[in-house]
Amino acid sequence: MSKPSKKMSLDKKHNLTGWAFLTPAALLILVMSFVPMVKALILSFQTGVGAAMKPCGIANYSRMFKDTVFMQSVKNTFFYLIIQVPIMLVLALILASILNNRNLRFKGLFRTMIFLPCATSLVAYATIFRSLFANNGIINLALTKLGILDAPYSFLTHPTSAKIVIIIGLLWRWTGYNMVFYLSGLQNIEYSVYEAAKIDGASPIQTFFKITVPLLKPTILLTAIMSTNGTLQLFDESVNLTDGGPANASITMSHYIYNMSFKYVPNFGYAAAMSFFILILVAILAFIQMKVGDKRD
Amino acid sequence: MTKGRKFAMYLFLCIMSFISVFPLYWMVSAATNKSVDVTRGRLIPGTYLIENFKNLIASQNIGRALGNSFKYAIILTIISLIICSLAGYGFEIFHDKAKDAVMSVILLAMMVPFVATLIPLFQMFSKVGWLNSTIGFILPTISTPFLIMMFRQSARSFPHDIIEAARIDGLSEIRIFFQMFIPTMKSTYAAAMTITFMNAWNNYLWPKVIMTDEKSMTMPMVVANLTQGYVTDYGMLMLAVLICTLPTAIVFFCLQKSFAEGITGAVK
Amino acid sequence: MKKKIVSLMLVSAMAVSMVACGSSDSGSGSSSGSTASSGDSASTESGSGASEGGDTLTVWCWDPAFNIFSMEEAAKVYQKDHPDVTVNVVETPWEDVQTKLTTAATSGDLSTLPDILLMQDNAFQKNVISYPDAFTDLADSGIDFSQFAEGKTAYSVVDGKNYGVPFDNGAVIGCYRTDILEQAGLTIDDFTDITWDQYIENGKKVLEATGKPLISMQAGECDLIMMMLQSAGSSLFNEDGTANIVNNDALKVVAETYKELKDAGVLIEVNSWDEYVGSITNGDVAGTINGCWIMASIQTAEDQSGNWGITNMPSLVGVDDATNYSNNGGSSWAVTANCQNKELAFDFLASTFAGSTELYDNILSCGAIATWAPAGDSTAYAEPNEFFGGDAVSAKIVDYATKVPSNITGVYYYEARDAVATAITNVIAGSDIETELQTAEDTVNFNMGQ
Repeated sequence: MSKPSKKMSLDKKHNLTGWAFLTPAALLILVMSFVPMVKALILSFQTGVGAAMKPCGIANYSRMFKDTVFMQSVKNTFFYLIIQVPIMLVLALILASILNNRNLRFKGLFRTMIFLPCATSLVAYATIFRSLFANNGIINLALTKLGILDAPYSFLTHPTSAKIVIIIGLLWRWTGYNMVFYLSGLQNIEYSVYEAAKIDGASPIQTFFKITVPLLKPTILLTAIMSTNGTLQLFDESVNLTDGGPANASITMSHYIYNMSFKYVPNFGYAAAMSFFILILVAILAFIQMKVGDKRD
Repeated sequence: MTKGRKFAMYLFLCIMSFISVFPLYWMVSAATNKSVDVTRGRLIPGTYLIENFKNLIASQNIGRALGNSFKYAIILTIISLIICSLAGYGFEIFHDKAKDAVMSVILLAMMVPFVATLIPLFQMFSKVGWLNSTIGFILPTISTPFLIMMFRQSARSFPHDIIEAARIDGLSEIRIFFQMFIPTMKSTYAAAMTITFMNAWNNYLWPKVIMTDEKSMTMPMVVANLTQGYVTDYGMLMLAVLICTLPTAIVFFCLQKSFAEGITGAVK
Repeated sequence: MKKKIVSLMLVSAMAVSMVACGSSDSGSGSSSGSTASSGDSASTESGSGASEGGDTLTVWCWDPAFNIFSMEEAAKVYQKDHPDVTVNVVETPWEDVQTKLTTAATSGDLSTLPDILLMQDNAFQKNVISYPDAFTDLADSGIDFSQFAEGKTAYSVVDGKNYGVPFDNGAVIGCYRTDILEQAGLTIDDFTDITWDQYIENGKKVLEATGKPLISMQAGECDLIMMMLQSAGSSLFNEDGTANIVNNDALKVVAETYKELKDAGVLIEVNSWDEYVGSITNGDVAGTINGCWIMASIQTAEDQSGNWGITNMPSLVGVDDATNYSNNGGSSWAVTANCQNKELAFDFLASTFAGSTELYDNILSCGAIATWAPAGDSTAYAEPNEFFGGDAVSAKIVDYATKVPSNITGVYYYEARDAVATAITNVIAGSDIETELQTAEDTVNFNMGQ
């Protein structure tokens, strides 16, 4: 055997090993996700009530653009995406870089406390948030006592404030969650880099932008894609905090799809079509994010 | 660090922690109060904890639900971590055009709302007879695009020269993975473990479809049971919610050191 | 290379074996009342669907203090004559009942369904018409449906066939804090057999004297709207199933009345159900109007015992057929098509919820008031209730229930209800009633046209 071919076979061997590593996971995803997805895709070209379905071409897809409630839900969801995701990720990054400081006291306690919201059961979280923002809730009480408001403001019955409550809820619940990834990602940056930067007289803000952010890029990409995906499929907050109200002003796409499947007369064809609409949106956004952020330097 | 800056930093952390913990405090204090006091907005802890606990035990089988939740969450976390980290490692270390393409396709799997794939998945599971079973609970979420991508992104910082050196030493690829990668990536595993455990623990929509049997009920299902009547006993509900929250919090507290400070000499 | 593959296989084998041992206990995980999941592929009836044995009935319902309690009492009553029959109640929240039912029926595999399930009345038409194969017609059950209030059985009748045995009563009651009314110089009689105009006048007096609104309602939920509408026998749908919103004169009066209530400050909107209950138990409002099941929540405020009174609801002004009676909520028992022993299920229901005054006497303590006429004659219903000022509230409610005008739920009930709720929210914010109702009707028509 000549040398080049031996090299080839080594590459080939690595290649095969790589495939072997990812086969169990890929097979599971194929069976557990793609098979049902294909079935749902077929369903999205059918219509009918309950279990009696008949083909309808692309009617479900053209239908959603005429559906005012669905269009409203698309607008709402994008509103959440644009406002909430950047704030959350920046806040999580700042918290993670502060809590990565070795000289900080009680960091285990701080970390746990800031993580706790996402471990809190949804029922408790929803109940608590609703009572905080209630007419006689603490927030209104504080604002009236401080003289900012004359009379209690009904946060959940006004379109804009209801959306803001959802955003606050999301920030509260998921900032600590994203912080976890940054904390674990920061471990791959050697601490000596920071010490060197400190000796060179770099300010913490410079260090943050010049060292932390660039080196965390793979993790930031991960969290950005996850948060985009999570927000476009947002369901819990819409259902539990505002129930989509007032007058659909805060309903999300997934909430509407759920209603279409389980609350209203079940129309799974239409629900599937709307789901694939979400898939396309997320895929486009994720593709852009991958293009921008997934270069191996 | 100057004193002023240090003070500002602690103040910021304290405010953030307070905001994070306040609702939890509310939950704890509600769990010790009578239902009617909870609806009246009482914030200070009361003396009704034992009574709430007795009522809870009488109305729901908490022990069984906790046992089930632990069983499902632990089994799922272990298997999921092995399978997904193997794949993430494979995608990154042996990456080429074809595998990058497969990765992108796999990512698609998380982008469809679960509601859409629920019915086909249910059909599959009921045909094979996996309803009301552990395997039915865990199988759909063992391999998740998210975990695979998480391990793939962190494998990016795993130095390739270590692998080369190990290969020259004659270590097999699988041993490199188990003996070099896993110990080095302790922090990633700890973070992944926390997140996976939490997701498994809180999983609700899928179990509520496939678990039709009281013996297979999980904690979140018990909590849901408590919110459904014409009258809600808020004190009892918050106690159940507290019991449902604690395990994840404890897992996090135990693991946070590992994923924030766990790195040892291996990389250097 | 070989070695690597072998070790990889070992890893996967390990994983698989862990999965397998996870699954091995699935058999033991199935319910006592049903067969364990069978290993052979011939039977697909694994899990805990309907009971296969001849003498067990599996039932889904959701409230331990209420309908589960009632079902268990029913089992006790039935077991006196049939000691070998067991009833296996699985606590399943209503939303989960709906999700499980939809999933099972859509995938065409009904084997996971129980023998009997409790269904919200408002969802009955939708489910039976969407999944006709999932339910059993009760024509052969020997149950005399004429003994139930007509407004109640109407919920579960599809194409002239009865699919449900009525369970709890949702007759609307007006509940008032007599001590607060007193401060405004009013009594419970000033709220009996009145119109909404009189209600608003009274409300203004109470507001002036005490600063408290008469009633609170959950914003965005149109419970009160639907109650008002049904009190005049009007529905959001016509007999032929078409939407009846924009040309519905009663609905227009309802919307105007609701806005007037809100503008006068007599009605205050709150954000959530919790806040609604809180406003009542806190004494922030002087009363409420709701289905009679609301009494259970009111009674959690033990310190207000004796200060509450119950009467009927106000009637609409300027609407034909306006009455002081309506209905909100309630549920009925349905027998699924998966029920393996229909004879037993029929006989069980016929001799308990449709045939035992003893049962209704036993469950009166949990607040379950019958819609089955013979039960109302029982002496237990005439007993005074100290919390509500020593009034015989149960007998009162049974009487109200017989006077409730029946209405058409329609298949698209939830769609129409949500569309109307949206319209009302916008009307309160200042929009024109006519345009909003037109939008609501368009939305409903859009949902119906597939």
